[in-house]
Amino acid sequence: MMDARKSRKRPLGWFVAYCGAGLVIAFFVLPIAFLVSVSFKSPDQALSGHFLPGRPTLDNWRDTFQIIPLVRYLFNSVSVAFFSAILTVAFAFPATYAMVRLKIGGRFLPAFTLATYVAPPVVALIPLFLLLRRVGLLNTLTGLVVVNGLGNLPVAFWLLSGFVRRLPPEIDEAAWLDGAGHITVVWRIIAPMIAPGLAATALICGILAFDEFLLASSFSNDPSSRTLPVAIALFQGERLVNFGQMAVASITGIVPVYLIALFAQRWLVGGLTVGSIK
Amino acid sequence: MVGLAVFAVYPFIDVLALSFSKSSLGRPFQKWPVAANYLALARDETFRAALVRTMIFAIPVPLIEMTLGFSVALLLHSSLRGAGWIRGVILLPLMTPPMMVATAWKLILAPAGGLLDGVLLRTGLLDQPISFLGTMPWAFLSVAVADIWQWTPFVAILSYAALQGLPEDVVEAARVDGASSSNILWHITLPILAPTLLAILLLRVVIAFKLFDLVYGLTFGGPGFDTTVAAFQVWRTALAQFDIGLASAQTIIFAILVSLVTLPLTWLHRYSEAHAG
Repeated sequence: MMDARKSRKRPLGWFVAYCGAGLVIAFFVLPIAFLVSVSFKSPDQALSGHFLPGRPTLDNWRDTFQIIPLVRYLFNSVSVAFFSAILTVAFAFPATYAMVRLKIGGRFLPAFTLATYVAPPVVALIPLFLLLRRVGLLNTLTGLVVVNGLGNLPVAFWLLSGFVRRLPPEIDEAAWLDGAGHITVVWRIIAPMIAPGLAATALICGILAFDEFLLASSFSNDPSSRTLPVAIALFQGERLVNFGQMAVASITGIVPVYLIALFAQRWLVGGLTVGSIK
Repeated sequence: MVGLAVFAVYPFIDVLALSFSKSSLGRPFQKWPVAANYLALARDETFRAALVRTMIFAIPVPLIEMTLGFSVALLLHSSLRGAGWIRGVILLPLMTPPMMVATAWKLILAPAGGLLDGVLLRTGLLDQPISFLGTMPWAFLSVAVADIWQWTPFVAILSYAALQGLPEDVVEAARVDGASSSNILWHITLPILAPTLLAILLLRVVIAFKLFDLVYGLTFGGPGFDTTVAAFQVWRTALAQFDIGLASAQTIIFAILVSLVTLPLTWLHRYSEAHAG
């Protein structure tokens, strides 16, 4: 009886599931696919509203790199992402260890750290602007590295505490008994054991810094320190928007993160999920 | 760690002090008309509307994303062939820089040459193109759709991980007892996962309050002020009107609002954690 019901239900269930899966993929791929398509359209084709370019052209790809210094912006973005990620992990990892294992700061400090993440970044916009101006780091890549590196600390703490908590405490205790200090324990013993966690955290924080727009646009008004999202926002604001070139610039900014997604999918998903699942 | 404390506390004190002062971006702390900024805000219809708008965005949109994201997670969790594909694909929107998300959706929604208008015109559903980003309620909905596109994967990935941590034996036992799939979902899966799902929702609401990039890229707060959310309003006051005293006061009010909304969610999360098996 039960078997009969199951077999009756199944084909329909699978059909719905596959339709759902198809819709999901279509919805999530469509905007990116259209972006790619537009990048191959000439200006008049871009105004036609068709999905595919009638006669694909490489003009946009040639011109955009000449009109705006995309390579320079890409370099800026990648530098900010790379160095700020290192900064974040270098600070967050010992701090997380101290809070999670040594219970420094009791219950208050971890809660406080996470609470700072609740505040929208626009809250810190004004004081950081004044601070950066005072120390002369406005319009510099260093300024953006510092702001992103410190700004992502709560995220890194949240991610890393999940990894640190998983380790059996006997490990640190054994090391202490052997006479190892806290610094040795943190960097020589714990770090290698949660290397995937550190990598995932660094990648996620790097991507956050790469994607960041609000602070980057407010603190750098100069091509020498302009990041890609800011460049694209400025490009959009221009009077004669050339859709094809806009698409090329956007794709240039998307490719680096997609490459990371492609090669580090497992780490990213592991990093994202470890904090929320107990 | 001292650095972290300084980094977190310093801006707060600075903003608080600024909010009681008359300050421009060029010359902070000119005078101290202590309550003037707050009194101005109390009369400011635009700012109040921006706060309300932020709430209208930051609560329903994450709820929609939870529903969609959890459904996608169920799809991934079923032994569907090609689930790995979906998992790879949905990671992409999450990683796309929001400003590029805005560009991509702008191309779809543009009145001239946009894909959506193109399709609707060709199929005869429309006689004239709609300016989706320039008219209400479309502009607000457009921002919401772009946000759903970007953040549903986040919910899906976290929910999927939660589903995989589900105790198999309980589900199996229920199935042997003849419980249907929907019964298992409503009476076993969801109650067990409630604390985790609430944590995900909380996180999403927190992030939704930060909404800025998509508004900047898609509508720039318009038409009029109709998509101006709080973060955008603070930014405009500070860096386009250069009145950082007033912007600081807006910041404080905004921060209080965020706390008021997220605190009950935090309590609810604690409660569900304490009462879940």
